[in-house]
Amino acid sequence: MTGRAILGLVALNAGFAVLGLSLLWALRALPRWSDVLRLTGVGYLVGVASFGTVWTQLLVIGVPFGGWAIAATLVGGTVAACAAGLLLGRVPPEGFGDGRGLPTLDLLSLAAGIALIGLLLEALFRSARLQGLQAYDAWAFWVPKGKAIFFFDGLDEQLFTSLPGPTYPPLVPILDAAAFHAMGGVDTVTFHLQYWFLLLGAVAAIAGCLHRRVPAWLLWPSLVLVLVLPRFGERLLTPQADILVDVLFVVGALLLLSWLLDGGSWRLVAAAVLFAGATLTKREGLLFAAAALGVALVASLAWRAPGRGRLLLAALAVLAAAVPWRLWYRSHSIGGEAPTDAGGSLDRVVDSLRLSFDVLFDSGLWSIAPVIAIVALVAAGVWGNRRVAAFLGALLGIVFVGGAWVTYSFVDIPITDVESVNPIVRYTAAIVLLAVVSTPLLLDSVWRGRGSEP
Amino acid sequence: MFCLAVTVGAVVVLWPDAFADANRTSRANAALDYIDRQVGGGNSVLPDQAVVIEAQGRIPPDGTFLVAVGERQEGWSELATPDAIATFMRSILLPRRESGDAPWILCFACDRSAYPGAEPVWEDEEGLSILRRGE
Repeated sequence: MTGRAILGLVALNAGFAVLGLSLLWALRALPRWSDVLRLTGVGYLVGVASFGTVWTQLLVIGVPFGGWAIAATLVGGTVAACAAGLLLGRVPPEGFGDGRGLPTLDLLSLAAGIALIGLLLEALFRSARLQGLQAYDAWAFWVPKGKAIFFFDGLDEQLFTSLPGPTYPPLVPILDAAAFHAMGGVDTVTFHLQYWFLLLGAVAAIAGCLHRRVPAWLLWPSLVLVLVLPRFGERLLTPQADILVDVLFVVGALLLLSWLLDGGSWRLVAAAVLFAGATLTKREGLLFAAAALGVALVASLAWRAPGRGRLLLAALAVLAAAVPWRLWYRSHSIGGEAPTDAGGSLDRVVDSLRLSFDVLFDSGLWSIAPVIAIVALVAAGVWGNRRVAAFLGALLGIVFVGGAWVTYSFVDIPITDVESVNPIVRYTAAIVLLAVVSTPLLLDSVWRGRGSEP
Repeated sequence: MFCLAVTVGAVVVLWPDAFADANRTSRANAALDYIDRQVGGGNSVLPDQAVVIEAQGRIPPDGTFLVAVGERQEGWSELATPDAIATFMRSILLPRRESGDAPWILCFACDRSAYPGAEPVWEDEEGLSILRRGE
C-alpha cells in the first residue's frame, strides 16, 4: 500500500507542477530552461492554488469530485494552457542560461544551503511517511472534510455544516481528497507526505522568486533559518492549512513586489492565482490578500508605476474567487467570518497590541528572526532601497495590526497566546515568514547602496 | 553584515536541533505499531483503541452509528470528554455516518437502559461496548 500510495502522490504533485509551469509558460515567464528550473516551485504552487480554486467553485455548484475528474482537471488545464500559449505565439524555452557562472561564494552558499535543507527534508520525509494523525484540528475537521469529499464526491451538507470550523474554506480538504484518490484510498498515515510535497514546493518557490534578485550568500542562510525556527519546525508537516496559507501569501507578496519593481504581467497573474488560493485556504487568507493588494495599489500610485488597471483587475479576480464559497456556507445558515459583536474597551486595544508584540518577539517561537528582519528593514529604509523597505514595512505593519484586530474584535477570544483559544501564534507565523524571506532583499539593497533595485 | 552574521549564527545553533528532532520523530513513528498509527490522536482521547477496530469491523461502510458517553471512568484520560470522543469517532469511522436513530451504539460507559432492545455485540473491561438495536 505504501509504495503505491507514494507513487500516486508523486504523480499528483508532478501534475500540479506541470499544470502551473504550463500556465507560467503561456504567460511568457519561461524563455529559457533555466527559468523552468528556477520557477518550478512557483509553478507548483500556482498549480496547487489554481487546482484548489477551480475545484472550490466546481464543488460549490455541485460537480462531483473523483479520480477521473482530478486527472481531467490536471490534463485539461495543462492542455488548455499550452494551447493558449501556442495561440499567443509562445515558443518553447531555449538554451539553459546566459553562460555566466556563479561567483565562488555564491556557489558555496548554494551548495551549503541545498545540503542543509536537503538533509532536513530527507529526515522529514522519513518522519512523514509513518506519521499518525495527531493534531486536534487535523483529525477533528480538516481531514474529515477531505474524507467527506473523497467518500461523498462533494461538499457533503451534513458534515460540512456540523464539523468544527464550518466557515473554513475547502482548498486544503480538496487537496486531501485528491491525495486520497492518488494513493488509492484513505491512508491517513502516508498522506502526510502530501504536506511534505507542499513544503518542498514552498522552499523551491521562495528560492526561485529570490534567486535572481539577491546573491546566494544572502538568500540561503535566511531560507535555512526559516525552516529551523522552533515554531515552524514542529508544524511543517501538520495536515492543516496554516503553513499553506502563509506560503501562498508570502510567495504572492514577493511576486507582487517584483512586478512593481520590474513589471512582467506573469508575476501579477501568478500572484493573483496564489492570493485566490490563499482566500480559499484559510479565513485570514482574505485579510492577507487584501493587505498585499492594497499596499501594492498605494505603491503603484505613489511610484507612478504603470499597470494600475491590471492590478485592480487582479484584485477583482481574487475577490470573485473568494465569494462562491462564502455564499455556499451562508446559504446553509452558517455564521460569517467577521466578528458579530465587534468592539471592546480601549484597554482591550492595548492588550491586543501587547499580545501581538509579545508573540512576535517570543524567542521560543521564532528565535531571533523578527529582530534580524526589523534591523534589515530599518537599514534598508536608511541606506538601501526605500521602495522595497516601504512596501515590505507597510505590508508587515498592516498584517501585524490585523492580528491585533482579530484578538480585539472577537470579544470572546481571551487575551492569551494559548493556541487552542486564540489564533495569534498561527497568525503571526505569516508575518515572520514574510519578514525572514524578505530579509535578503532588504540586505541586498543595503549592500548595493540606496536606490538600487534588487 | 551584522544581520547576515546573526542569521548564520542562528542557523548554526538551530539546524542541529531541528535535524535531531526530525530524526527523533522519525524513529518514534517507526517504533509505533500499525494500529497506533491508524488511531493517532485517538490514543489520547479514547479509553481503549480496540473500540475503533471493533467498530470499523462490525459497522458496514454505509451504516450509521451513535456515540453515547457516560460518566468518566477511572483510568480515562482528561481528554476523554464526550465531545472529543464523539468528534474522534465521527472522524475515524467515515464513511459511516452519525445518526440519532442509528442501529449501532458506541457506548462509552453509557446508560444502556436509554437504549431498550439494544444488545451488546462487543464489550471490554473499561466500560466500553458496541450495542446493536433493531432498525
